[in-house]
Amino acid sequence: MSVRELTKVNCYHCGEPCTEDRRLHDSKDFCCQGCEVVYDLLNEAGLCDYYALEERPGVKQRSSVDEQRTELFDLAEVRERIVEFSEAGISRVRFHVPQMHCSSCIWLLENLHRMEPAILRSRVSFTQKELTITFREERFPLGQLVKLLRKIGYGPQLTAAKDQVDKGVPHMVYVRLGVAGFIFGNTMMFSFPEYLGANTEAGLRTGFQWLTILFSLPVVFFLSTEFFRSAWAGIRSRTVNIDQPIALGIVALWTRSLWEVGTGIGPGYFDSLAGLLFFLLIGRWYQAYTYRALRFDRALEDFLPLVVIRKTAAGEVATKVADLVPGDHIIIRDHELVPVDAVLRSGVGHIDNSFITGEPLPSRKEVGETVKAGGRQRGALIELEVLRTFAESRLKQLWAEQVSLQDRPVMPRLIDTVARRFTIAVLLIALGAALYWWGKDPAQVWPVVTAVLIVACPCALALSMPFAYGHTIRLMGKKGLFLRDAEVVERMAHVDTVVFDKTGTLTAREAHEVRWYARTANSAPVTSPRVQYNGMRDHWVDLLSDEQQALVQALARNSTHPLSAVLTQELRSDGTTTNGDQCSRSVSRSPIQWDAAPPGRHTDTLITDVHETAGAGIQGMVRSHAVRIGSSEFCGGAEMMRTNGDAHVHVTIDGVWLGHFAIRKRARTGIAAAVAQLRTRLRVALLTGDAQVDTELSDAFHGAQVRTHCSPVDKAQSIIHEQQQGHRVLMVGDGLNDAGALAQSDVGITVTETTAALTPASDAILDAEAVPLLPTFLLQARRARRIVLASLGISLCYNLVGVAFAVSGHLTPLFAAILMPLSSVSVVAFVTVGVMLAAHRSAKLT
Amino acid sequence: MSVIFLLIAASTLVAVVFLAAFIRAVRTGQYDDDRSPAVRMLHDPPPNANYDLTTDPAPRERDSNQLDR
Repeated sequence: MSVRELTKVNCYHCGEPCTEDRRLHDSKDFCCQGCEVVYDLLNEAGLCDYYALEERPGVKQRSSVDEQRTELFDLAEVRERIVEFSEAGISRVRFHVPQMHCSSCIWLLENLHRMEPAILRSRVSFTQKELTITFREERFPLGQLVKLLRKIGYGPQLTAAKDQVDKGVPHMVYVRLGVAGFIFGNTMMFSFPEYLGANTEAGLRTGFQWLTILFSLPVVFFLSTEFFRSAWAGIRSRTVNIDQPIALGIVALWTRSLWEVGTGIGPGYFDSLAGLLFFLLIGRWYQAYTYRALRFDRALEDFLPLVVIRKTAAGEVATKVADLVPGDHIIIRDHELVPVDAVLRSGVGHIDNSFITGEPLPSRKEVGETVKAGGRQRGALIELEVLRTFAESRLKQLWAEQVSLQDRPVMPRLIDTVARRFTIAVLLIALGAALYWWGKDPAQVWPVVTAVLIVACPCALALSMPFAYGHTIRLMGKKGLFLRDAEVVERMAHVDTVVFDKTGTLTAREAHEVRWYARTANSAPVTSPRVQYNGMRDHWVDLLSDEQQALVQALARNSTHPLSAVLTQELRSDGTTTNGDQCSRSVSRSPIQWDAAPPGRHTDTLITDVHETAGAGIQGMVRSHAVRIGSSEFCGGAEMMRTNGDAHVHVTIDGVWLGHFAIRKRARTGIAAAVAQLRTRLRVALLTGDAQVDTELSDAFHGAQVRTHCSPVDKAQSIIHEQQQGHRVLMVGDGLNDAGALAQSDVGITVTETTAALTPASDAILDAEAVPLLPTFLLQARRARRIVLASLGISLCYNLVGVAFAVSGHLTPLFAAILMPLSSVSVVAFVTVGVMLAAHRSAKLT
Repeated sequence: MSVIFLLIAASTLVAVVFLAAFIRAVRTGQYDDDRSPAVRMLHDPPPNANYDLTTDPAPRERDSNQLDR
């Protein structure tokens, strides 16, 4: 058997490694036809600067829902949402294009007018992942524009849900920050004469003091309003939050300063007040920094296509899913979702329910059988008759079941616990000082009490958490885990149990693993599915030769069965495979392109007399050999023991049964090691809707809880059970069948292969490639929390020093003005450096 | 020395004008996208590939994107 050595080559367009479908074009390597097509398009339009700006900027084309449908852009509701204006034949549309990720993307999308003259202008808003295009709609319809964008890999995304991504950091945050900085700087300047002791002229002194009072007004009445509001809300609901000591401090500062200036005693603490607000608002700003282009919340409507094609007397019409009534005939193509419960009327259904139930392999449906909503068709076009409206369909019920479960248990936040203790401590100290001075020198009581309230600065407290967790979010994002907000970090640090889903989470969505099991010399069925290495070689008939593989592939190409499509992709027409193990095995990383034109190298294979028997297999004459592939009865072979839910495809050539292929979804690399690492300090569990768990995974989860046949409610109940026993659960899932469990668990993480894909509602989104890094992420979260605790210790030291001065009556405005910025800056610096170092060290571990 | 108050008033006025400009910039959305302007200004205008000396006396202005509001 010839084995061609493949050197490690990466695609010029998207950067992924070129495996089986590698093509050479224009002296560049491409991993698939999709990438090559995009390159050609850009080359023709003279847009090859796309490749000059960044290396391998393209995104590999993965077909997903609604890829082929452009009719939905003719719908009034959709146009209303995306068309900003349309007049005199010129329209402006705004698309959401989450695929853009680099400067090349920006460059290409802003140079679209060079590809198509009807496009006048296009503008990108990178942080919102939006593209605004002005074009001549009369000459170039919207549907065509969408097709063009899809061709180059930047197809716009549209969902049924009401509103798109939020607009990022609210404007008021920036406005407040700007005003705070303005006032802080100016007030400090006005206070300089006081610090330097140059304020000798009475007139000048009062003048400056009144200036600082004037500047303090917006601080108290504009910048502090959110703190007062939050503190008041806390009082009303009888809880203590971090904003209460802050509000107290602000009030103390202001009233004390007014009193000092009014009675002519001193200059007041207005500079400290301005500084306090400035630092607090910086903390708030950093807290508002989340991933704006990703969506963490989902409504059920998001998962469905907006429209389906309905067959009417007048032809095929795009109809909204919500408008379907029982009796309508709809057409569903490959890779499209069946939106309502329906009966199959024409065609063969291979329905993939993995997103809904977790079963990995598609189930076959014949005409007359019912197809439930939520399944995805894998195969040729089918026609269905609607049985129930969407509102009554199984999907809706499934969703409702999961949503109605109990709420997730509340985990007390560190910041609230600290705020409570801090406030009580400060009040006690103030009280103690008041009592002491009441006895010693009553005139000092009020100054001392206000001094204590002023200097006990929760500023450092309020800053360390947003910055520590904010940095952690950023660093995790670089590695592939995108958190919803800072609280998730803290919850991750407390987790002691990790629950996994199987299909789509631990196994890849679209990638398959194909193994060949030859029949043994004595034609007995192989009892063990594992490849026997030592000493059993003589029992194995030689592996499928190149010629034989070519025959099988040529025949498989003519079948509509999804397993045939897998085989077509795995076997090369020139008979080579990618490794030389005695078990011939290849791994496909790309999804099956059902409607794509087949690569043009095999068309000279002579195939005749092809006959496909539904449910059994396909047979034909290929290069004058009689080839049969299909089930064991069809091929006259022995039924092999089916393990782990593999699908078996038997092969018979010229009447001789040769063996079978075992096809299953590939498990993600590095999972076993990751699970092992997690098990050193946490509990793990595996819950799946599938019927079986393959050996690799069952070994990794040996001794831990593994449950199969889990319905979505089973999974959620399982998590509730764990939580009732006091465990903190982190759930990793991906499909709709995990939605309830994800919402119920303390931290819910969804796994996705492309950030543009749909995921159920969760606290975090994990890139598929980064799943093995889960132990590192948990470690990072724990370290971040420890750093926050340490920084609280540091701020406590500052507070002790300040309070000591306050209690003894020696607090001066200058001292306060130095102490507060110093403590804030040093805490932020400590936290930043600490988190970066911790991340660096955790990265070294993997 | 009390003229310093006049100076302070004048410079504060100037500073307030800048603050107002900043607030206006924020509210009209100039800070919503902080990534693409940085990248956009580095993009070169396209080469005049369809410049035919024999028939076109002047290069064709095809880069309409440069004409911003």
